[in-house]
Amino acid sequence: MIDAPTAASALTTTGLTRRFGDLTAVRPLDLDLPAGGIIGLVGPNGSGKSTLIRMLLGLVRPSAGTATVLGSPLEEPRRFLHRVGALIEGPAFVPALSGRANLLSLARLRGLPASRVDEVLDVVGLTGRDREPVKRFSLGMKQRLGIAAALLPDPELLILDEPTNGLDPSGIVEIRALLGRLGREGRTVIVSSHLLSEIEAVCDHLLVIRFGELLYTGPIDDLMRRAHATVEVRPEHDDDAPRLLTALTDAGFAVDGDLRVRAAAGDTAAINRTAIEAGITLRHLAAHTDSLEEVFLQMTGTDEDLAAERGATAGRAA
Amino acid sequence: MVHVLRSELLRLRRPSLIGSWLGLTGMFAVLINTAMFQFVADGQTEGGPGATFPTLDELIAPTGLVAGLGAAATFFGVVTLAFWAMTAATDYQTGLIRLLASTEPSRWRLLGGKTLALALWTAAATLLALVLCVLVAPIAAEGAGVSTDAWRDIAAGDIGLAWLHLYAACLVWGAVGLALATITRSAAVAISVGVGYVLVVEAVVSAIVSDLGDWLPGSTLTALAQGGTAEVSFGAAAALGLFYGVGGLLTAGIVQRRRDVTD
Repeated sequence: MIDAPTAASALTTTGLTRRFGDLTAVRPLDLDLPAGGIIGLVGPNGSGKSTLIRMLLGLVRPSAGTATVLGSPLEEPRRFLHRVGALIEGPAFVPALSGRANLLSLARLRGLPASRVDEVLDVVGLTGRDREPVKRFSLGMKQRLGIAAALLPDPELLILDEPTNGLDPSGIVEIRALLGRLGREGRTVIVSSHLLSEIEAVCDHLLVIRFGELLYTGPIDDLMRRAHATVEVRPEHDDDAPRLLTALTDAGFAVDGDLRVRAAAGDTAAINRTAIEAGITLRHLAAHTDSLEEVFLQMTGTDEDLAAERGATAGRAA
Repeated sequence: MVHVLRSELLRLRRPSLIGSWLGLTGMFAVLINTAMFQFVADGQTEGGPGATFPTLDELIAPTGLVAGLGAAATFFGVVTLAFWAMTAATDYQTGLIRLLASTEPSRWRLLGGKTLALALWTAAATLLALVLCVLVAPIAAEGAGVSTDAWRDIAAGDIGLAWLHLYAACLVWGAVGLALATITRSAAVAISVGVGYVLVVEAVVSAIVSDLGDWLPGSTLTALAQGGTAEVSFGAAAALGLFYGVGGLLTAGIVQRRRDVTD
């Protein structure tokens, strides 16, 4: 357990912007992310997630705007970087050195004792394999080593880019449990991932960006209230479909031509009763609620939509 | 800075890297001594690209014992340039720079610590060259029939000075390699540019504009390693060496400081 967070907000930004020539990677961004808990950072490829993370770590300078990280201004990274751990765009180590030596060099850079290396190796389950050269590590082991490096400073803010990349299912479960534990300890963990099922499983708060623009920020539960709930019904005899559609519509349900009823799982009994009253036996009655992935796609569009939108934007610019 | 230095020293502790560095330096030290005495005894004065042979009189003088250091200064310099460039470029090529720069916010400190760590290994490599020179030179001289009688009179200070001159020249070569690697972010490109410059560009420029030749890095650093030559005094070589070295480090620092880490 770490001490109480030193700032009420882990991260605030005001008009934070980054342009690369004509391309605006991050549009003026206003954020206020709470300290403590796990925050998911999601967006399609090229949405500006990496640029945002790099700006927060002092690797890329903003073109405009201001930000604070753990209560300290972005322009003074020395005041907060010692409390931040990060895994950025995959693990990066010296391949010829052992995992332990790589971590030890990073611990020395932070002025930390060698004993801290043993602690983080134990946390990520690499004890016993740490003296092998990193070039012999599997992708999953490198990923664990990257997370260990991020944990070295016992960070208040942990930024992890695709933390489960390359891990086997049991490794994913372990890392998910680790993230949960870190969040419960009062740390702020920002997880950037393409695996929305991962985000849904571990995050409390969500940040969705597209084309460098903020689409949503807030508790994940609030976002999931936007999820569509439907109940799919099929009559025993296909010929009864028009009658079933009429009966459900007359009973006040919103039904589409494929007999998908806009209703929550709790309405299945009422739907079934309506069908029985109309003399129709149902052979299929299934409730479905949109997953985070579906909600995300409704917000951001599919890759094809994005390509079309980008093309249209480029055309307008030309 | 101490944290960065300790961290860099650990990362440099790679057997393949250090083995190649010391191995190449040792190989050049042995080769140059073996060839130099034979060639000079045969009356040959041209050492070929990168090698500047002393006269027979200079060889039989007390400092002839360590003449190999200055004669192969360009070789030692190019090896130093290559390893400094390799080390700096590896940070970019592996993406390690992301971790380093997000841990130590001062890019100048990162560069300073790396420079100090590389300077320490350069001292080790040039000391190895000195030791091998002292061991091989008497055998090579004996084989070539060059008198070594006067070598017994060499002062320890002269041996130390010969090493210091070579070390200073190698540090400048290293700084140039560091600057090239920081700019190009590629070891291969940095080394190609460095070696290509010394072996081709400077030779061509010197041939076209002979007055300029003595001021160019290759000639200057050879003169610095030899403690001054007839063409370039030691003072001029030291001043120009300082200019090139500081210029290289400043260039690397400014590029690293100003550039976004997008690798």
